[in-house]
Amino acid sequence: MGRFLTRKNLTRNEMLVVYIIAALSLMIGAVNSAFFSMGTVIDTARSMLVTVIFALCEMAIIISGGIDVSFPAIACFSLYSTIAFMNAYHIDSVAFAFFFSGFLGLLWGALNAILIAKFRIPALIATLGTSSLASGAILVISGGKEISMIPPSVDALSQQFLFSVTNASGVKSSLTVFILLPAALCLLFHFVLRHTMFGRGIYAIGGDADAARIEGFNVFRTQCILYMAAGLIIGIAAITHAILMRNANPSNLMGSEMMVIAAVVIGGTRITGGHGSVVGTVLGVLLITLVSNNLIMLNVPNYWQTFAVGLIIVIGTSITSLRAKRIALSPKI
Amino acid sequence: MLALFGIALGIIAIMAFADPAFLKGSNFRSMAFQFPEFGILSFGMMLCMISGGIDLSLVGAANLSGIVAAVVILSTGGSIAVGIAAALLVGAVCGLFNGYLIGQLQIPAMLVTLCGGQLFTGLGMAITKGPAITGLPEQILVLSNGTVGGVLPYALLLFILIALALGFLLKSTVYGQHLCLMGSNPTASRYSGINNLHVTLLTYMTSGILAAVSGILILSHYGSAKSDYGMSYTLLSLLIVVLGGVAPAGGRGRVSCVALSAVILQLISSAFNVLRFNSFVKTFVWGLLLVIVMVAQSVIQKEAYQFLNIRRKNYEKDHQQA
Repeated sequence: MGRFLTRKNLTRNEMLVVYIIAALSLMIGAVNSAFFSMGTVIDTARSMLVTVIFALCEMAIIISGGIDVSFPAIACFSLYSTIAFMNAYHIDSVAFAFFFSGFLGLLWGALNAILIAKFRIPALIATLGTSSLASGAILVISGGKEISMIPPSVDALSQQFLFSVTNASGVKSSLTVFILLPAALCLLFHFVLRHTMFGRGIYAIGGDADAARIEGFNVFRTQCILYMAAGLIIGIAAITHAILMRNANPSNLMGSEMMVIAAVVIGGTRITGGHGSVVGTVLGVLLITLVSNNLIMLNVPNYWQTFAVGLIIVIGTSITSLRAKRIALSPKI
Repeated sequence: MLALFGIALGIIAIMAFADPAFLKGSNFRSMAFQFPEFGILSFGMMLCMISGGIDLSLVGAANLSGIVAAVVILSTGGSIAVGIAAALLVGAVCGLFNGYLIGQLQIPAMLVTLCGGQLFTGLGMAITKGPAITGLPEQILVLSNGTVGGVLPYALLLFILIALALGFLLKSTVYGQHLCLMGSNPTASRYSGINNLHVTLLTYMTSGILAAVSGILILSHYGSAKSDYGMSYTLLSLLIVVLGGVAPAGGRGRVSCVALSAVILQLISSAFNVLRFNSFVKTFVWGLLLVIVMVAQSVIQKEAYQFLNIRRKNYEKDHQQA
């Protein structure tokens, strides 16, 4: 235990986020004592589920020195096309849903990969373009309408729970099985980033692409695999979102890129690339989710919420950026 | 520049062939009323991009300025001049906020303006409490819908004046030179005695003021103010600037090309309206255009680079023989 309680560990960025989360929880708990319950844990986990998956992909891409603002559009495209396709051809298979949606995500990821790795277009502009393409395409196809009929065997998944708890007033909260998906992905991302040559290559490219190339990393291949893998995972997360929401909406994820990027940056990933950890990212998502879910409990009026979330994001990202700058400028031995 | 002119003429020619209604004077008139809104936003984007950054908070700042203008006009009992002054002030403050975080705290522009946009939109929403602010005096509509002598719309006149002013600013002032130098290499510009912080603050402030001007035009166009008007303008202004040949890495950019490319996008947009495509198709096409333009520029750049390399090698070979 003593080994963990060192000054270095206690002032790490991840720990700062933990302190803020603790303070915020105490504040919310003081106003509303119902906050400290198993139900809150389950609700928070449920609202973090898809965001964590997006954030993991975004983190890996930001570590590699890029950025991706196209994932909400890719997700909307994948989930809507999959459900529409399955309804049209009366396909009722869970495996097909995940496979097809993941495949569509992979295709969009491949487009990002070509634009960024092959043509060397700045990642922000390239993914803005992809985002507009995917979102425009799916809105034209859907006409802006959502589908509320999901094939029955796929829809049944939304009623599979790990366990349920019932609180004193009789409200039952259940944890969906899908929570295993982000949990598994967290372990996978941690393993790949920390313990494989490919993962170290992502950090190396983000630190300095030229240096990484000279060291023998294949920058082109690493970027291609990264963006395509991100597309695949986003496609899978998208269909999960559709199953949990029990409808396929062509636009309700749009705009979430802002929150995800903010969560990643607050979690200590440097926007300039080369630094970041899975633990930090999960904590960042937890903080943002707690803030956006519980502002009502703190009696913040509805119309102030965008501003409040924006303010927290600006402060959070400023602090992490300033810390990163100080570390970068500090003398190294 | 010539290529852009060619594209514009090409679109007009194709559309004249597809639907003669496109060539009507009324169509061109309505275009002249529409494009200054996002054209002026694009100038803000252009300045930031030349400085090596980007401004994704333009629409947020524009709406916030418009909302403040509306509130001030209503509370002062119809004084439009005060409202406009307040809007410009708000725009400048938004820009200075961005500029301070970027220049002084050295946080990447993309992150700052992405968050800043959220902040400004949120502030606008907090002021309006959700619904649009309406009930403004009739005179406010004149700005976007009135003309000088029945020919030249005020909005177009404003656009031309701003374009001329910015052209002068970039070409013939010390600030303009400093901006381009800082954009192409911030370290070199700092060592050559340019105050990077100063230039960054000025750039984002100007961008904020331009956003405010556009916000006033939007206010005047709709006759009301809301925090989510013109959300598609962020992508559109980026597309205009990139099509106008401004280097995304910074350092280069011409006002005339950006102005022309704003006109081109208005032509495309009007063409879609005449052909009765819905607005979702536009989103798709803007994305497609952005990708195509960027890929084309990337290919051209590579070719040019290879061409220079071959020339250099030939030159070296000749000299070795000599």
